Amino acid sequence: MSVEEGQVLGVHTVEAWNEHLQKGNESNKLIVVDFTASWCGPCRFIAPFLAELAKKLPQVTFLKVDVDELKSVAQDWAVEAMPTFMLLKEGKIVDKVVGAKKDELQQTIAKHLATA
Amino acid sequence: MAVSGFEGFEKRLELHFFPDDPAVLTGMGLRQLDFESLEQVLRAVQCTVVSAVGNHYFDAYVLSESSLFVYPTKIIIKTCGTTQLLKSIRPLLHYACHLGLTLCSCRYTRGSFIFPLAQPFPHTSFKEEVIYLEESLPSNLCYRKASVMPCKIPSHSWHVFTASDEAHLVITPHAPDVLYTLEICMTELDRVLARKFFKRPGDEKTGDTAGKEMTELTGIGHINPGSLICDFAFDPCGYSMNGIIDGDRYSTIHVTPEDGYSYASFEFVGSIYDDLDDVAQVLKKVVQVFRPATMSVSTTCTSHEVWTRVGGALEPLGMKCRSCTVDEFPAAGNVVFQTFTTRRKKIKVGANANSRDMRRADVCRPFRFILSYQKDKKTRKRKRDMEKAKAKRIKGFKWEKKLDVNREIIGSSKNLLD
Repeated sequence: MSVEEGQVLGVHTVEAWNEHLQKGNESNKLIVVDFTASWCGPCRFIAPFLAELAKKLPQVTFLKVDVDELKSVAQDWAVEAMPTFMLLKEGKIVDKVVGAKKDELQQTIAKHLATA
Repeated sequence: MAVSGFEGFEKRLELHFFPDDPAVLTGMGLRQLDFESLEQVLRAVQCTVVSAVGNHYFDAYVLSESSLFVYPTKIIIKTCGTTQLLKSIRPLLHYACHLGLTLCSCRYTRGSFIFPLAQPFPHTSFKEEVIYLEESLPSNLCYRKASVMPCKIPSHSWHVFTASDEAHLVITPHAPDVLYTLEICMTELDRVLARKFFKRPGDEKTGDTAGKEMTELTGIGHINPGSLICDFAFDPCGYSMNGIIDGDRYSTIHVTPEDGYSYASFEFVGSIYDDLDDVAQVLKKVVQVFRPATMSVSTTCTSHEVWTRVGGALEPLGMKCRSCTVDEFPAAGNVVFQTFTTRRKKIKVGANANSRDMRRADVCRPFRFILSYQKDKKTRKRKRDMEKAKAKRIKGFKWEKKLDVNREIIGSSKNLLD
Protein backbone atom coordinates (compact mmCIF):
# COMPACT_ATOMS: atom_id res chain seq x y z
CA MET A 1 0.00 0.00 0.00
CA SER A 2 1.44 3.39 -0.92
CA VAL A 3 1.30 6.39 1.40
CA GLU A 4 -1.59 7.82 -0.56
CA GLU A 5 -3.84 4.85 -0.01
CA GLY A 6 -6.13 4.55 2.95
CA GLN A 7 -6.39 8.25 3.69
CA VAL A 8 -8.07 11.41 2.50
CA LEU A 9 -5.52 13.51 0.61
CA GLY A 10 -5.68 17.27 0.90
CA VAL A 11 -5.18 19.03 -2.43
CA HIS A 12 -3.75 22.49 -1.88
CA THR A 13 -2.68 23.75 -5.32
CA VAL A 14 -4.24 23.78 -8.76
CA GLU A 15 -1.16 21.97 -10.07
CA ALA A 16 -1.59 19.15 -7.56
CA TRP A 17 -5.27 19.00 -8.47
CA ASN A 18 -4.55 18.65 -12.18
CA GLU A 19 -1.94 16.04 -11.42
CA HIS A 20 -4.44 13.94 -9.44
CA LEU A 21 -7.02 14.21 -12.21
CA GLN A 22 -4.41 13.15 -14.77
CA LYS A 23 -3.44 10.17 -12.62
CA GLY A 24 -7.09 9.21 -12.28
CA ASN A 25 -7.56 9.39 -16.06
CA GLU A 26 -4.79 6.92 -16.60
CA SER A 27 -5.47 4.48 -13.78
CA ASN A 28 -9.24 3.95 -14.18
CA LYS A 29 -9.48 4.26 -10.41
CA LEU A 30 -12.58 5.70 -8.73
CA ILE A 31 -11.88 9.14 -7.29
CA VAL A 32 -14.04 10.70 -4.59
CA VAL A 33 -13.51 14.45 -4.20
CA ASP A 34 -14.75 16.09 -1.01
CA PHE A 35 -15.36 19.80 -1.58
CA THR A 36 -15.17 21.22 1.89
CA ALA A 37 -14.67 24.46 3.82
CA SER A 38 -13.05 25.18 7.17
CA TRP A 39 -16.13 27.06 8.37
CA CYS A 40 -18.66 24.42 7.33
CA GLY A 41 -20.14 22.52 10.29
CA PRO A 42 -21.60 19.66 8.22
CA CYS A 43 -18.10 19.07 6.76
CA ARG A 44 -16.74 18.59 10.29
CA PHE A 45 -19.66 16.27 11.00
CA ILE A 46 -18.78 13.90 8.14
CA ALA A 47 -14.96 14.17 8.20
CA PRO A 48 -14.40 11.23 10.62
CA PHE A 49 -16.75 9.05 8.56
CA LEU A 50 -14.91 9.93 5.36
CA ALA A 51 -11.58 9.03 6.98
CA GLU A 52 -13.07 5.65 7.96
CA LEU A 53 -14.27 5.05 4.40
CA ALA A 54 -10.82 5.90 3.04
CA LYS A 55 -9.26 3.37 5.42
CA LYS A 56 -11.77 0.70 4.41
CA LEU A 57 -11.52 1.35 0.66
CA PRO A 58 -7.85 1.63 -0.37
CA GLN A 59 -8.89 0.96 -3.97
CA VAL A 60 -10.58 4.39 -4.06
CA THR A 61 -8.68 7.70 -4.14
CA PHE A 62 -10.14 10.19 -1.65
CA LEU A 63 -9.27 13.85 -2.27
CA LYS A 64 -10.19 16.88 -0.21
CA VAL A 65 -10.49 20.33 -1.76
CA ASP A 66 -11.00 23.42 0.39
CA VAL A 67 -13.30 25.71 -1.63
CA ASP A 68 -11.57 28.83 -0.27
CA GLU A 69 -8.10 27.53 -0.99
CA LEU A 70 -8.92 26.35 -4.54
CA LYS A 71 -11.62 28.86 -5.42
CA SER A 72 -11.20 28.45 -9.16
CA VAL A 73 -11.63 24.67 -8.97
CA ALA A 74 -14.76 24.99 -6.83
CA GLN A 75 -16.15 27.53 -9.28
CA ASP A 76 -15.36 25.42 -12.33
CA TRP A 77 -17.10 22.47 -10.72
CA ALA A 78 -20.09 24.61 -9.69
CA VAL A 79 -19.86 23.74 -6.00
CA GLU A 80 -22.45 25.75 -4.06
CA ALA A 81 -23.15 23.62 -1.02
CA MET A 82 -20.76 21.95 1.35
CA PRO A 83 -19.83 19.20 1.58
CA THR A 84 -20.21 18.17 -2.07
CA PHE A 85 -18.79 14.80 -3.05
CA MET A 86 -17.94 14.28 -6.73
CA LEU A 87 -17.28 10.77 -7.93
CA LEU A 88 -14.92 10.65 -10.92
CA LYS A 89 -13.94 7.90 -13.22
CA GLU A 90 -11.64 8.36 -16.21
CA GLY A 91 -11.92 12.11 -15.86
CA LYS A 92 -15.69 12.14 -15.94
CA ILE A 93 -18.16 12.93 -13.14
CA VAL A 94 -20.11 9.72 -12.67
CA ASP A 95 -22.08 10.76 -9.59
CA LYS A 96 -22.52 13.48 -7.01
CA VAL A 97 -23.64 13.55 -3.37
CA VAL A 98 -24.56 16.95 -1.96
CA GLY A 99 -24.58 17.20 1.82
CA ALA A 100 -23.22 15.19 4.71
CA LYS A 101 -25.27 12.06 4.10
CA LYS A 102 -23.36 9.06 5.39
CA ASP A 103 -25.50 6.26 3.99
CA GLU A 104 -26.00 7.85 0.61
CA LEU A 105 -22.28 8.51 0.24
CA GLN A 106 -21.34 4.97 1.18
CA GLN A 107 -23.92 3.44 -1.14
CA THR A 108 -23.02 5.68 -4.05
CA ILE A 109 -19.35 4.74 -3.73
CA ALA A 110 -20.27 1.04 -3.44
CA LYS A 111 -22.42 1.30 -6.57
CA HIS A 112 -19.56 2.67 -8.65
CA LEU A 113 -17.07 0.20 -7.23
CA ALA A 114 -19.38 -2.64 -8.23
CA THR A 115 -19.58 -1.44 -11.82
CA ALA A 116 -15.81 -0.98 -12.06
CA MET B 1 -57.49 9.76 19.13
CA ALA B 2 -54.76 7.41 20.19
CA VAL B 3 -54.03 7.26 23.92
CA SER B 4 -50.40 7.97 23.25
CA GLY B 5 -48.23 8.35 20.20
CA PHE B 6 -45.45 10.41 18.76
CA GLU B 7 -45.64 14.11 19.55
CA GLY B 8 -45.38 15.89 16.22
CA PHE B 9 -45.73 19.45 17.53
CA GLU B 10 -42.29 21.00 17.70
CA LYS B 11 -40.70 23.38 20.14
CA ARG B 12 -38.72 26.09 18.39
CA LEU B 13 -35.93 28.21 19.81
CA GLU B 14 -34.24 31.09 18.01
CA LEU B 15 -31.23 32.81 19.58
CA HIS B 16 -29.48 35.91 18.26
CA PHE B 17 -26.00 36.93 19.33
CA PHE B 18 -23.81 39.95 18.88
CA PRO B 19 -20.02 39.89 18.76
CA ASP B 20 -17.99 41.46 21.53
CA ASP B 21 -15.56 42.48 18.79
CA PRO B 22 -17.26 43.77 15.61
CA ALA B 23 -14.63 42.03 13.48
CA VAL B 24 -16.28 38.72 14.41
CA LEU B 25 -19.36 39.79 12.44
CA THR B 26 -17.50 39.32 9.20
CA GLY B 27 -16.22 35.96 10.41
CA MET B 28 -17.98 32.68 10.87
CA GLY B 29 -19.13 33.16 14.48
CA LEU B 30 -21.24 30.24 15.69
CA ARG B 31 -20.34 28.19 12.63
CA GLN B 32 -16.89 27.72 14.12
CA LEU B 33 -18.44 25.65 16.89
CA ASP B 34 -16.70 22.27 16.69
CA PHE B 35 -18.87 19.25 16.16
CA GLU B 36 -18.22 17.84 19.64
CA SER B 37 -19.66 21.00 21.21
CA LEU B 38 -22.68 20.85 18.94
CA GLU B 39 -23.15 17.20 19.89
CA GLN B 40 -23.01 18.18 23.56
CA VAL B 41 -25.79 20.70 23.00
CA LEU B 42 -27.88 18.16 21.13
CA ARG B 43 -27.24 15.53 23.78
CA ALA B 44 -28.77 17.88 26.36
CA VAL B 45 -31.83 18.15 24.11
CA GLN B 46 -31.75 14.38 23.45
CA CYS B 47 -31.38 14.22 19.71
CA THR B 48 -28.64 13.63 17.13
CA VAL B 49 -27.65 14.77 13.63
CA VAL B 50 -28.77 12.49 10.80
CA SER B 51 -27.69 14.57 7.81
CA ALA B 52 -26.51 18.08 7.08
CA VAL B 53 -25.50 20.59 4.44
CA GLY B 54 -24.05 24.08 4.47
CA ASN B 55 -23.33 26.95 2.11
CA HIS B 56 -21.62 30.32 2.37
CA TYR B 57 -24.38 31.69 4.61
CA PHE B 58 -25.40 28.96 7.05
CA ASP B 59 -25.42 25.28 8.05
CA ALA B 60 -28.62 23.23 8.02
CA TYR B 61 -28.87 20.00 10.01
CA VAL B 62 -31.60 17.38 9.89
CA LEU B 63 -31.92 15.96 13.40
CA SER B 64 -33.33 12.69 14.68
CA GLU B 65 -36.08 15.01 16.01
CA SER B 66 -36.47 17.88 13.51
CA SER B 67 -33.91 20.56 12.55
CA LEU B 68 -31.06 22.88 13.45
CA PHE B 69 -29.85 25.95 11.56
CA VAL B 70 -26.59 27.69 12.41
CA TYR B 71 -25.77 31.17 11.10
CA PRO B 72 -22.73 33.20 12.21
CA THR B 73 -24.75 35.12 14.83
CA LYS B 74 -28.06 33.23 14.90
CA ILE B 75 -29.11 29.71 15.80
CA ILE B 76 -32.50 28.07 15.33
CA ILE B 77 -33.33 24.70 16.88
CA LYS B 78 -36.62 22.98 16.33
CA THR B 79 -37.31 19.65 18.00
CA CYS B 80 -40.36 17.42 18.29
CA GLY B 81 -41.29 14.37 20.36
CA THR B 82 -40.28 14.42 24.01
CA THR B 83 -37.02 16.31 23.52
CA GLN B 84 -35.90 18.85 26.13
CA LEU B 85 -35.17 21.74 23.81
CA LEU B 86 -34.74 24.44 26.44
CA LYS B 87 -31.86 22.51 27.97
CA SER B 88 -29.81 23.61 24.95
CA ILE B 89 -29.72 27.24 26.10
CA ARG B 90 -27.12 26.99 28.84
CA PRO B 91 -24.51 24.96 26.89
CA LEU B 92 -25.08 27.15 23.82
CA LEU B 93 -24.50 30.35 25.78
CA HIS B 94 -21.36 28.81 27.24
CA TYR B 95 -19.88 27.86 23.84
CA ALA B 96 -20.96 31.15 22.25
CA CYS B 97 -19.20 33.05 25.02
CA HIS B 98 -15.94 31.25 24.13
CA LEU B 99 -16.40 32.44 20.54
CA GLY B 100 -16.76 36.04 21.73
CA LEU B 101 -20.53 36.16 21.21
CA THR B 102 -23.15 37.50 23.62
CA LEU B 103 -26.85 36.68 23.48
CA CYS B 104 -29.03 39.66 22.53
CA SER B 105 -32.43 38.15 21.78
CA CYS B 106 -34.37 34.94 22.20
CA ARG B 107 -37.64 33.64 20.80
CA TYR B 108 -39.35 30.44 21.86
CA THR B 109 -42.54 29.25 20.16
CA ARG B 110 -44.67 26.14 20.04
CA GLY B 111 -48.20 24.96 19.37
CA SER B 112 -50.29 22.88 21.76
CA PHE B 113 -48.96 19.40 22.40
CA ILE B 114 -51.21 16.49 21.42
CA PHE B 115 -49.83 14.48 24.35
CA PRO B 116 -48.94 17.12 26.96
CA LEU B 117 -48.66 14.58 29.76
CA ALA B 118 -45.82 12.81 27.96
CA GLN B 119 -43.62 15.93 27.98
CA PRO B 120 -40.64 15.90 30.34
CA PHE B 121 -39.36 18.81 32.41
CA PRO B 122 -39.16 21.70 31.60
CA HIS B 123 -41.87 21.21 28.98
CA THR B 124 -44.59 19.98 31.32
CA SER B 125 -46.46 23.27 30.94
CA PHE B 126 -45.93 26.65 29.30
CA LYS B 127 -45.59 28.21 32.74
CA GLU B 128 -42.79 25.77 33.58
CA GLU B 129 -41.11 26.53 30.25
CA VAL B 130 -41.24 30.27 30.86
CA ILE B 131 -39.78 29.87 34.35
CA TYR B 132 -36.96 27.78 32.89
CA LEU B 133 -36.35 30.34 30.13
CA GLU B 134 -36.31 33.18 32.64
CA GLU B 135 -33.73 31.35 34.71
CA SER B 136 -31.55 30.37 31.75
CA LEU B 137 -31.36 33.76 30.08
CA PRO B 138 -28.83 36.42 31.09
CA SER B 139 -30.10 39.57 32.78
CA ASN B 140 -29.19 41.86 29.84
CA LEU B 141 -32.24 40.42 28.06
CA CYS B 142 -34.54 42.51 30.21
CA TYR B 143 -37.44 43.03 27.81
CA ARG B 144 -39.39 39.83 28.17
CA LYS B 145 -42.86 38.77 27.24
CA ALA B 146 -44.76 35.50 27.28
CA SER B 147 -48.16 35.01 25.76
CA VAL B 148 -50.54 32.23 24.82
CA MET B 149 -52.34 33.32 21.66
CA PRO B 150 -55.80 31.82 21.82
CA CYS B 151 -57.73 30.15 19.07
CA LYS B 152 -61.26 28.88 18.56
CA ILE B 153 -59.84 25.41 18.14
CA PRO B 154 -58.47 24.79 21.63
CA SER B 155 -55.99 22.19 20.38
CA HIS B 156 -54.15 24.78 18.30
CA SER B 157 -53.24 27.72 20.53
CA TRP B 158 -49.86 29.34 20.02
CA HIS B 159 -47.28 29.82 22.77
CA VAL B 160 -44.75 32.61 22.40
CA PHE B 161 -41.93 33.80 24.63
CA THR B 162 -39.52 36.52 23.58
CA ALA B 163 -36.68 38.34 25.28
CA SER B 164 -34.41 41.06 24.06
CA ASP B 165 -31.75 43.42 25.31
CA GLU B 166 -32.09 47.17 25.04
CA ALA B 167 -30.17 47.56 21.79
CA HIS B 168 -31.97 44.86 19.81
CA LEU B 169 -35.61 45.67 20.38
CA VAL B 170 -37.76 45.29 17.33
CA ILE B 171 -40.13 48.23 17.42
CA THR B 172 -42.15 48.68 14.28
CA PRO B 173 -42.03 50.50 12.03
CA HIS B 174 -38.78 52.28 12.88
CA ALA B 175 -36.55 49.24 12.55
CA PRO B 176 -38.26 47.03 10.01
CA ASP B 177 -36.71 43.62 9.69
CA VAL B 178 -37.01 42.49 6.10
CA LEU B 179 -37.26 38.83 7.02
CA TYR B 180 -40.45 37.14 8.09
CA THR B 181 -41.04 33.65 9.43
CA LEU B 182 -44.06 31.47 8.70
CA GLU B 183 -44.63 28.59 11.11
CA ILE B 184 -47.39 26.25 9.97
CA CYS B 185 -48.76 23.35 12.01
CA MET B 186 -51.11 20.90 10.33
CA THR B 187 -53.10 18.10 11.94
CA GLU B 188 -55.45 15.36 10.66
CA LEU B 189 -53.61 14.95 7.39
CA ASP B 190 -55.33 13.30 4.45
CA ARG B 191 -54.88 9.57 5.06
CA VAL B 192 -53.96 8.68 1.50
CA LEU B 193 -51.39 11.46 1.29
CA ALA B 194 -49.99 10.62 4.75
CA ARG B 195 -49.37 7.04 3.65
CA LYS B 196 -46.68 8.32 1.28
CA PHE B 197 -44.55 9.06 4.34
CA PHE B 198 -44.34 5.40 5.32
CA LYS B 199 -41.51 3.19 4.11
CA ARG B 200 -42.78 0.09 2.38
CA PRO B 201 -42.46 -3.09 4.47
CA GLY B 202 -39.24 -4.88 3.63
CA ASP B 203 -37.83 -1.75 2.06
CA GLU B 204 -34.08 -1.86 2.56
CA LYS B 205 -33.51 1.70 1.38
CA THR B 206 -31.49 4.02 3.59
CA GLY B 207 -33.07 7.07 5.20
CA ASP B 208 -31.31 9.29 2.64
CA THR B 209 -32.59 7.43 -0.41
CA ALA B 210 -36.11 6.88 0.91
CA GLY B 211 -36.24 10.55 1.93
CA LYS B 212 -35.27 11.65 -1.55
CA GLU B 213 -38.04 9.48 -3.01
CA MET B 214 -40.62 10.94 -0.64
CA THR B 215 -39.55 14.48 -1.54
CA GLU B 216 -40.30 13.70 -5.19
CA LEU B 217 -43.35 11.51 -4.73
CA THR B 218 -45.24 13.88 -2.42
CA GLY B 219 -44.60 17.09 -4.34
CA ILE B 220 -42.49 18.58 -1.53
CA GLY B 221 -39.69 19.06 -4.07
CA HIS B 222 -41.88 21.52 -5.97
CA ILE B 223 -42.87 23.76 -3.05
CA ASN B 224 -39.85 26.04 -3.40
CA PRO B 225 -38.50 25.34 -6.87
CA GLY B 226 -34.75 25.76 -7.12
CA SER B 227 -34.06 25.19 -3.44
CA LEU B 228 -31.41 22.73 -2.34
CA ILE B 229 -33.03 19.98 -0.29
CA CYS B 230 -31.53 17.82 2.43
CA ASP B 231 -34.08 15.13 3.28
CA PHE B 232 -34.42 12.04 5.43
CA ALA B 233 -37.04 9.29 5.90
CA PHE B 234 -37.34 7.59 9.27
CA ASP B 235 -38.07 3.96 10.10
CA PRO B 236 -40.82 2.81 9.76
CA CYS B 237 -42.39 6.20 8.98
CA GLY B 238 -41.88 9.93 9.25
CA TYR B 239 -39.99 12.43 7.20
CA SER B 240 -37.82 15.53 7.64
CA MET B 241 -36.33 17.98 5.21
CA ASN B 242 -34.39 21.24 5.18
CA GLY B 243 -34.38 23.42 2.09
CA ILE B 244 -31.84 26.13 1.31
CA ILE B 245 -33.55 28.96 -0.56
CA ASP B 246 -31.73 31.81 -2.34
CA GLY B 247 -28.54 31.30 -0.41
CA ASP B 248 -29.33 32.62 3.05
CA ARG B 249 -32.86 31.44 3.80
CA TYR B 250 -34.36 28.11 4.70
CA SER B 251 -37.55 26.10 4.68
CA THR B 252 -38.17 22.99 6.74
CA ILE B 253 -40.80 20.26 6.80
CA HIS B 254 -41.41 17.52 9.36
CA VAL B 255 -44.05 14.84 9.08
CA THR B 256 -45.53 12.41 11.59
CA PRO B 257 -47.92 10.44 9.38
CA GLU B 258 -49.48 7.97 11.83
CA ASP B 259 -53.24 7.96 11.84
CA GLY B 260 -54.84 9.29 15.03
CA TYR B 261 -52.11 11.88 15.67
CA SER B 262 -50.91 12.74 12.17
CA TYR B 263 -49.04 16.02 12.01
CA ALA B 264 -46.95 18.00 9.56
CA SER B 265 -45.14 21.27 9.98
CA PHE B 266 -43.82 23.70 7.43
CA GLU B 267 -41.58 26.60 8.29
CA PHE B 268 -40.38 29.15 5.82
CA VAL B 269 -38.26 32.28 6.06
CA GLY B 270 -38.92 34.90 3.40
CA SER B 271 -38.15 38.53 2.66
CA ILE B 272 -40.87 41.17 2.45
CA TYR B 273 -39.12 42.49 -0.66
CA ASP B 274 -39.85 39.27 -2.52
CA ASP B 275 -42.90 38.92 -4.71
CA LEU B 276 -45.55 38.16 -2.09
CA ASP B 277 -47.61 36.25 -4.63
CA ASP B 278 -44.92 33.61 -4.26
CA VAL B 279 -45.88 33.16 -0.60
CA ALA B 280 -49.43 32.43 -1.66
CA GLN B 281 -48.16 29.87 -4.17
CA VAL B 282 -45.99 28.21 -1.53
CA LEU B 283 -48.92 28.00 0.93
CA LYS B 284 -51.15 26.46 -1.73
CA LYS B 285 -48.59 23.79 -2.55
CA VAL B 286 -48.11 22.96 1.13
CA VAL B 287 -51.85 22.43 1.60
CA GLN B 288 -51.96 20.24 -1.50
CA VAL B 289 -49.15 18.03 -0.19
CA PHE B 290 -50.90 17.27 3.13
CA ARG B 291 -54.60 18.24 2.82
CA PRO B 292 -54.89 18.79 6.59
CA ALA B 293 -58.30 19.14 8.26
CA THR B 294 -56.87 21.78 10.60
CA MET B 295 -53.93 24.11 10.17
CA SER B 296 -52.50 27.07 12.03
CA VAL B 297 -50.30 29.71 10.48
CA SER B 298 -48.13 31.92 12.65
CA THR B 299 -46.53 34.85 10.86
CA THR B 300 -43.71 36.70 12.60
CA CYS B 301 -42.92 39.92 10.82
CA THR B 302 -42.43 43.60 11.50
CA SER B 303 -44.86 44.57 8.72
CA HIS B 304 -48.42 43.49 7.94
CA GLU B 305 -47.73 42.66 4.32
CA VAL B 306 -47.44 38.93 4.71
CA TRP B 307 -50.16 37.63 7.01
CA THR B 308 -52.89 39.39 5.06
CA ARG B 309 -52.03 37.13 2.12
CA VAL B 310 -52.45 33.91 4.04
CA GLY B 311 -56.26 33.76 4.06
CA GLY B 312 -56.48 34.72 0.41
CA ALA B 313 -54.17 31.85 -0.49
CA LEU B 314 -55.90 29.20 1.62
CA GLU B 315 -59.59 29.97 1.12
CA PRO B 316 -59.78 28.95 -2.54
CA LEU B 317 -58.49 25.55 -1.39
CA GLY B 318 -61.49 25.02 0.87
CA MET B 319 -59.84 26.15 4.10
CA LYS B 320 -61.93 28.46 6.27
CA CYS B 321 -60.38 30.99 8.61
CA ARG B 322 -61.61 30.27 12.15
CA SER B 323 -59.64 32.78 14.14
CA CYS B 324 -57.01 35.45 13.85
CA THR B 325 -55.03 36.96 16.72
CA VAL B 326 -52.31 39.61 16.69
CA ASP B 327 -49.80 40.29 19.40
CA GLU B 328 -46.68 42.39 19.51
CA PHE B 329 -43.41 41.19 20.99
CA PRO B 330 -40.45 43.39 21.85
CA ALA B 331 -37.92 40.94 20.44
CA ALA B 332 -39.75 39.72 17.37
CA GLY B 333 -42.26 42.26 16.03
CA ASN B 334 -45.83 41.24 15.30
CA VAL B 335 -46.93 37.68 15.62
CA VAL B 336 -50.18 36.98 13.78
CA PHE B 337 -51.77 33.64 14.53
CA GLN B 338 -54.44 32.36 12.17
CA THR B 339 -56.23 29.04 12.19
CA PHE B 340 -58.03 27.31 9.36
CA THR B 341 -60.14 24.21 9.00
CA THR B 342 -61.61 22.46 6.03
CA ARG B 343 -65.18 23.55 5.30
CA ARG B 344 -66.63 20.16 6.12
CA LYS B 345 -65.05 20.15 9.57
CA LYS B 346 -67.32 21.23 12.40
CA ILE B 347 -65.79 22.96 15.36
CA LYS B 348 -67.11 23.68 18.78
CA VAL B 349 -67.03 27.40 19.29
CA GLY B 350 -68.25 27.42 22.86
CA ALA B 351 -71.55 27.75 24.68
CA ASN B 352 -72.30 31.32 23.64
CA ALA B 353 -71.58 30.81 19.98
CA ASN B 354 -74.23 32.01 17.60
CA SER B 355 -74.74 31.65 13.91
CA ARG B 356 -73.73 35.27 13.33
CA ASP B 357 -70.25 34.58 14.65
CA MET B 358 -69.91 31.64 12.37
CA ARG B 359 -70.94 33.70 9.37
CA ARG B 360 -68.37 36.31 10.22
CA ALA B 361 -65.68 33.69 10.41
CA ASP B 362 -66.83 32.48 7.00
CA VAL B 363 -66.08 35.78 5.32
CA CYS B 364 -62.72 36.08 6.93
CA ARG B 365 -60.78 38.00 4.37
CA PRO B 366 -58.36 39.55 6.83
CA PHE B 367 -59.50 43.17 6.45
CA ARG B 368 -63.17 42.39 6.55
CA PHE B 369 -62.51 40.18 9.49
CA ILE B 370 -60.96 43.01 11.42
CA LEU B 371 -63.81 45.37 10.62
CA SER B 372 -66.40 42.88 11.73
CA TYR B 373 -64.27 42.17 14.74
CA GLN B 374 -64.37 45.79 15.75
CA LYS B 375 -68.12 46.00 15.36
CA ASP B 376 -68.92 42.76 17.02
CA LYS B 377 -68.81 43.53 20.71
CA LYS B 378 -69.91 40.04 21.66
CA THR B 379 -66.94 38.49 19.97
CA ARG B 380 -64.65 41.00 21.59
CA LYS B 381 -66.06 40.30 24.98
CA ARG B 382 -65.64 36.60 24.49
CA LYS B 383 -62.05 37.10 23.47
CA ARG B 384 -61.42 39.23 26.55
CA ASP B 385 -63.01 36.58 28.73
CA MET B 386 -60.85 33.90 27.15
CA GLU B 387 -57.74 35.92 27.80
CA LYS B 388 -58.80 36.66 31.35
CA ALA B 389 -59.39 32.97 31.91
CA LYS B 390 -55.96 32.22 30.50
CA ALA B 391 -54.38 34.93 32.65
CA LYS B 392 -56.08 33.46 35.68
CA ARG B 393 -54.65 30.07 34.96
CA ILE B 394 -51.17 31.47 34.93
CA LYS B 395 -51.86 33.80 37.82
CA GLY B 396 -49.04 34.85 40.01
CA PHE B 397 -46.61 34.90 37.15
CA LYS B 398 -44.81 37.99 35.99
CA TRP B 399 -45.27 38.05 32.24
CA GLU B 400 -43.79 41.35 31.27
CA LYS B 401 -40.99 43.25 32.82
CA LYS B 402 -40.64 46.66 31.29
CA LEU B 403 -42.55 46.99 28.08
CA ASP B 404 -46.25 46.94 27.80
CA VAL B 405 -46.89 46.14 24.20
CA ASN B 406 -49.69 43.67 24.67
CA ARG B 407 -52.27 44.91 22.25
CA GLU B 408 -55.24 43.15 20.84
CA ILE B 409 -56.12 42.87 17.22
CA ILE B 410 -58.16 46.06 17.46
CA GLY B 411 -55.13 48.10 18.44
CA SER B 412 -52.96 46.71 15.66
CA SER B 413 -55.69 46.83 13.08
CA LYS B 414 -55.81 50.59 13.41
CA ASN B 415 -52.35 50.84 11.92
CA LEU B 416 -53.54 48.73 9.05
CA LEU B 417 -56.55 50.79 8.24
CA ASP B 418 -55.07 54.26 8.67
